[in-house]
Amino acid sequence: MRLYPYMAVILLLASNTSAECRDKECMPDTYEHSDGGSAITFYYDSVFQIGSNWFIIFEYDSGYSEDTISFEFGEGPSKTVKVQGEGEFIGMIEESISFPGSSFANEEFHKKLFINFTQSNGEEGKLLELKIHINKPPAEDLIFLWGGMTVFWLSIGLYVLYISNKFRELSDKIGVENNGDREKN
Amino acid sequence: MRYTREFFGAIGFIFVLITLYIGLIQTGSAKFFTAPNAQKLFYFHVPSGLITYLAFMMVVGGSALYLYNKSDYADRLSKCSAELGLVFGFMSLASGTFWMKAEWGGDIFSRFMTDMRLATTLAMWMLYIAYVVYRRQPETFQVKKNAAILGLSGMVMVPLSYLSSRFLRSHHPVIVGTEDQGSLDPSLRFGLYTGLFGFLLLYIFLFNIRMKIEEMERIHLKAKMEKI
Repeated sequence: MRLYPYMAVILLLASNTSAECRDKECMPDTYEHSDGGSAITFYYDSVFQIGSNWFIIFEYDSGYSEDTISFEFGEGPSKTVKVQGEGEFIGMIEESISFPGSSFANEEFHKKLFINFTQSNGEEGKLLELKIHINKPPAEDLIFLWGGMTVFWLSIGLYVLYISNKFRELSDKIGVENNGDREKN
Repeated sequence: MRYTREFFGAIGFIFVLITLYIGLIQTGSAKFFTAPNAQKLFYFHVPSGLITYLAFMMVVGGSALYLYNKSDYADRLSKCSAELGLVFGFMSLASGTFWMKAEWGGDIFSRFMTDMRLATTLAMWMLYIAYVVYRRQPETFQVKKNAAILGLSGMVMVPLSYLSSRFLRSHHPVIVGTEDQGSLDPSLRFGLYTGLFGFLLLYIFLFNIRMKIEEMERIHLKAKMEKI
């Protein structure tokens, strides 16, 4: 019976917190592309973890003349962003897009991410290619499954142990007293 | 007839093993769940929860009967069933907590304080902890009578816990007796029924043994008192 309060405390303390970092400083990979006077830098993680949102941050100067940038995973998901360039350099502009962790279901290496630049007049511009790896992390919820399962078997096991001890103690007590009575007689 | 009790226990255990096989191996990874592996706890969490309600309702029935006719059998039934209700209740609460943590995330303490299904079930379980603790003293007539009154409070707590997810604020899913009942996948339903049957037989087996021990204990105590 003493086990229950300990189990309750462990369960209460088992909470954890986690947050996805969306800053460019957290991104382990960068890709810089310059074209004439303007440059654009992409900050990303070359490993796409299935189940977690995947971010790509891009930074460009305000003199950038292209109109839209589209990000396409071949046959996979795609997203398009409208560039806020002013036509002349005023400062750096930072933007980001994300793909949901459910975008992919299976592992894949060297998955191509095509980045298309389209100009304001509709003319196709540059085409860049980034290679990323799609990783399927081990299931985190397995620990909860085994935790729950352990509770079942432990509970039944401990209760059976409790009643068998109780039964043995009682049998011993009855046996000792019966022997005592016999000796008296 | 001699080994009926053991037979019940063995069949119950086999059914629980079958449920384990269905849950962990046969049905594969669950779809439409954030935590598809932790969802396997469903096959044990739901049956243990329903057996908890059954055990506590037996305490209510036994307590009512004791107050009505002072039956020693009814008193023993209440006491033994309350113990088993605590065991199965602990299984249900703990497995539910593990599953909740994986599926919903967030802080466990605040979930228990704000979700009415969780709060009322925990309250019901703690009430019967009080009942079992109260019974750990020499069993006079007054103690049995007070325990029966305490046991009767389950008449409010059990339905309150069971119905809380239907009428009060709760994230806990409701399946039995709703339109969703028919939408349960057949494999899910089969696993649930084997689990329920297995747990029911285990409950009957353990309850029988506990009743026998309690009877022996009382006969022994009575004989001892008569000698004095």
